[in-house]
Amino acid sequence: MSDIASHSHSNQEIVAMEAIQEKVNSIWSLRFARLIKDKAAITGALILLTLIIISYLSPLLTYIVGLDGSTTDLLKRFDPPSAEHWLGNDEAGRDVLFRLLEGGKTSLSIGILGALGCTLIGTLIGASAGYFRGQVDMILMRFTDFMISLPSLPLLIILAAIDLSKLGVSQSFINSGAAGYWRIIIIVTLLGWTGVARLVRASTMSLVEREFVLSARAQGASSFWILWKHILPNAISPVIVATTLAMGRIMLTESGLSFLGVGIQPPLTSWGSMLTNAQEMMVSNPELAIYPGAMIFLTVIAINFLGDGLQSAFDPRSDPR
Amino acid sequence: MPRSNTPILSTSELSVRFALRKTWLGNNQYLHAVQKVSIQLFEGETLAIVGESGSGKTSFARALIGLNAVWQGELKYQGQTIDPLQNQAFSELRRNVQMVFQDPFGSLDPRLSVQEIIAEPLQIHGTHSKALQKTRVADLLTQVGLPVEAANRYPHQFSGGQRQRIAIARALAPQPKVIIADEPLSALDVSIQSQVMNLMKSLQTTHGLSYILVSHDMAAVHHLADRVAVMYLGRVIESAPVDQLFESPAHPYTLALLQSVPKIGKGKRTVGGSLKGDQPSPINPPKGCTFHPRCPVAQEKCKLEVPIDRNLSTEHRIACHFPIQVVRSAGATV
Amino acid sequence: MTSYLLQRLFGAFLVLLIKSFVIFALIGLMPGDPIDLLANANPEATAQDISKLREIYGVDQPITSRYVAWLKGISEGDFGFSRISHRPVMEVVFPALGNTLILTASAFVLSTIIAIFLGTMAALKRGTWIERSINLFAFAGISVPGFWLGLLLIYIFAVKLGVLPAGGMPSPDGPYSAMAYFILPLVTLVIVEIGGPTRYARSAMLEVLHQDFIRTAHAKGLTSSRVLWVHAFRNAMIPVTTIVALGFGHLFSGATLIETIFGWRGMGRLIYEAIMGNDYNLALVCLMMTTALILVANFLADVAYTFLDPRISLVGEKKQ
Repeated sequence: MSDIASHSHSNQEIVAMEAIQEKVNSIWSLRFARLIKDKAAITGALILLTLIIISYLSPLLTYIVGLDGSTTDLLKRFDPPSAEHWLGNDEAGRDVLFRLLEGGKTSLSIGILGALGCTLIGTLIGASAGYFRGQVDMILMRFTDFMISLPSLPLLIILAAIDLSKLGVSQSFINSGAAGYWRIIIIVTLLGWTGVARLVRASTMSLVEREFVLSARAQGASSFWILWKHILPNAISPVIVATTLAMGRIMLTESGLSFLGVGIQPPLTSWGSMLTNAQEMMVSNPELAIYPGAMIFLTVIAINFLGDGLQSAFDPRSDPR
Repeated sequence: MPRSNTPILSTSELSVRFALRKTWLGNNQYLHAVQKVSIQLFEGETLAIVGESGSGKTSFARALIGLNAVWQGELKYQGQTIDPLQNQAFSELRRNVQMVFQDPFGSLDPRLSVQEIIAEPLQIHGTHSKALQKTRVADLLTQVGLPVEAANRYPHQFSGGQRQRIAIARALAPQPKVIIADEPLSALDVSIQSQVMNLMKSLQTTHGLSYILVSHDMAAVHHLADRVAVMYLGRVIESAPVDQLFESPAHPYTLALLQSVPKIGKGKRTVGGSLKGDQPSPINPPKGCTFHPRCPVAQEKCKLEVPIDRNLSTEHRIACHFPIQVVRSAGATV
Repeated sequence: MTSYLLQRLFGAFLVLLIKSFVIFALIGLMPGDPIDLLANANPEATAQDISKLREIYGVDQPITSRYVAWLKGISEGDFGFSRISHRPVMEVVFPALGNTLILTASAFVLSTIIAIFLGTMAALKRGTWIERSINLFAFAGISVPGFWLGLLLIYIFAVKLGVLPAGGMPSPDGPYSAMAYFILPLVTLVIVEIGGPTRYARSAMLEVLHQDFIRTAHAKGLTSSRVLWVHAFRNAMIPVTTIVALGFGHLFSGATLIETIFGWRGMGRLIYEAIMGNDYNLALVCLMMTTALILVANFLADVAYTFLDPRISLVGEKKQ
C-alpha cells in the first residue's frame, strides 16, 4: 500500500518534459494562422479595409483637391467624366466620386456601429440568460423570440418615419441629418441583436458546465470573474463571425431604408440615399444608379467572404485538443 | 499514521437533491443523488469513495466544495459545521479543500496559459501579488515534475498526464489541507496512471495532505487509499479500512465490484462476478434495499426494509440485512 | 400534445396583442395627428361623428384608452377607412395580400427547390469549378441589394432590350402578357432569397455525406445514386427544413423593396405607401395582419418540424 514512487523526482521531470512543443501556441494564434491561408477571406478583408480607409480619408482628400460631394453646380448637371471630375457629375452637379466617398463613410460607419451595437446588447442579454438560467433565462428568451417574430422591414420603416420632434428631439438636430444617422443605428440595433443573443446564450450554457468553470466556482469566484475571464473569451469566436456578417446585413438594410427615403436624410448622404432617384435616371444616366449599388454590393460581398473565412478559421472542431 | 480525534473533514447524513422538472406550480420531481452520507476524513489519510457511475459519488464530492447545494445534513471542516451562508467559514473551506477533476482537458481553460491557470486560485483569493504568483507557479510546476518553461505554454500543447499534473499544481496553489480527486486517473493511459498516482502519493507525504479519492478503479483505490467507502445509488453501503474491504468485503455489491477487476499478470485470472441486470435509474430507486433486484443473496426482507448503517466491527460499517461473513486468506482476492 | 399546442396558441395570441399595442403606440408618434387622421379617414363622416371620434381618439386621451377603443372597433369588424384610397381598409388589404402571396409564394417554392438542387450539386462536385461557381453565386445572392438588382434588371430587359415591362401590374390591354409583368420581380426575389438556403443545403449535405452511416451504406453495396437520394437526402433535409421554416416568415413582408421598385401592388408596398401617406388606419391593419400571418406561419412550421424530426419530443412527453 505504501508504494512510494519508484521513479526518482528527476526521472519524473524527464518523462514529463517529453513532447512539450517548442513554440508558444495560443489558440488564437493558431486560428489566425488558419485565417491567413483563406484567400477569399483575406481578399475580402483587404477590400473592406481599403474602402474604409479611402472613405474616411475623404475629408483629407477634399482638403487637398478642393472637391467635395455636396457642392452643387447646376451648370454641371449630368456631366460625363472629366479630368476634374473623374466620375462625372450627378443630377445636381455634384462630383460623383467624392459623393461616393462621403456616402461610403456614412454607410460603412453605420454598418460598423450598428454591428457593434447589436453585439453589445446581444452579448449582454445572451450571457445573462445562459449564465443565470431559470426565470431570467425564460423572460429574456421570450423577449428575444418576441423580437424575432416582428416583421422587420415594415417596423423599421415605421421607426424610421417617426416624427422625432414628438419625442422631444430638437429641430436643429433633426435638420442637420445627424438625427437620421443616429436613428438608423439605434433602430437597426434594436431589431438586430437577437442573433447574437442566441449564439451567446448557447455558448454560455455549454461553457457553464465545463470543469474549468466549476474549478473557478469552487474557489468562490464571483459571477463577474467567471463571465469575464472564462465564459466570454471562450464564447467570443462565433460572436466575431456574427458581428462581421451583421455589418453586411445592416448595410443592406440601411441602403434599403435610405432608398425609400426614410433612412439617411440630406445633408448627409449614403450609398442607399444616392439611389433614391435612381429609377428616374435609369434611362438617361444609368451609371448614376449603378455606382452606389455596385459599391454596396462590393462591400457586402467582401464582408461575407471575410465572415465565412472567419467562421471556418474559428471552427472549434479545428482547434487542437 | 497519527490521528487526531477530530476528522479534518466530515459529513453527517449529508443529502443532495436535484430538481428535475420545473412546472409553473413548482418543482415536482427530485433526483436524490446523495442520501444521508456520513464519512470522516482524518488528517494525512486517503479516503476512497467508490461506486459505479450514477452512484452519486461525484455529486457528493462536489457538495464538499460547495458546487452542489447541501439539502440536508451537515458538512464539517475541522469539527466546525460549515454553513454556506456564513462567508468567512465557507471561504476558509474553499481555500483548504481543493479539487482535481477527471477530464484533464476540460478542467483547464484552453484560452489561458498554464501560468494563468495555476495562479487563478491565488488571484481569486487575492493572496499573492503578480510577482509572487510567478514564483509560486514555478515552484508548483517543479513539485509536480514539469519544467518551469511550461508556464507560458497552453494546455493543448501538453499530453493528458501532463495536463493532470497542471491540474494538481493548481489544486496545490492555495496550500490546501484536503484535496478531493474526482476520478483523476480515468482519462489517462494505464502507463501514465501509475506515474500520476505516485506523484499524488509523494505530494501527500511532503505536504501532509488528506485525500478524498473518488474512483471506480479498484486497483488505484487499493494502491492509494487508507479507508474505503462504497456507494450505491446515493448511499454508502459499506465502509472499512482498505485491507479489510478487499480481503473480507461484507456487502454483496462490494464483492461484485471487487470481482469485476480484471487481473493481469499474476498468473491466474479470476472470473469476474457479473451483477444481474443494469443499474436502476436513480430517479425511481427500488423499494427497500435499493440493491435487492441485483443482489444474488436477496431475501424477502430486503425488498421491504431499507437496511440501516451499523457497525460490523470497530472500523467496518455495513448497510445490509445479510452481510457476507466470509473470511478470505490474504492474497486470494486482489 | 394538445395542451402544448393550446399553450402555444395562447402564447401567440398574447404576443399578437402586445405587438398590436406597440405598433399602435408607434403610429401615434408619426408626423401629424395620426389618431386624428385615423379616425377621420372616412369621407362620409359628419361633423358630429368627428367630434365624437375626437372624444374617443383625441390626442389628449391616454394612449391606453385610445388603444382599447380601437380594439373594440376591430372586434366589431370595423377596421376603419383608408385615407388615400377612400375605401374601407379591408377592401384595399385583401387584394394586396393576394398579390404579395402570388409573388412571394412562387419565389419561395422556386428558390427552395433550386437551392436544394444547387446545394446538393455543390456538395457532390466538391472542389470543382461547379462548386466554386455555385458558391460564388450564392455569395452574390446574399450580398446584392435587392432593389438595386431589380433596377439593373429593369435597365437590361426593359430599357435596353425592351422585352419586358418596367413594372406595374398585369393589365388586360397592355402590350405585354400577364406573365411578363411577373417575371422580373420574381427573378429578383428568387436571386435574393436563394443564396442562404443554397449554402445551408450545401453544408448540410456535406456533413451528411461524410457521416459513417453513408459509408456503411456504400459498403452494403447500394449504388451511389440510391445511397444519395434515400439516405443522405432525408437526413440533410432536417436542418434545411429549419432554414426553410425561418424563411417562411418572410413570405409576407420580405418583398417590400421589390414591390416598390416594380410597382407591384402588394402588402409591402401598401404598408410603405400607407406610412408615407399618413394613412394610418391602413398601416395599422396591414401590420396587424402581417404580424398575425407571420405568427401563424411560424406556428405551422413548428408543428411540421416536430413531425419531421423524430428526435425532438414535445415538452411533457417521455421518449422511451
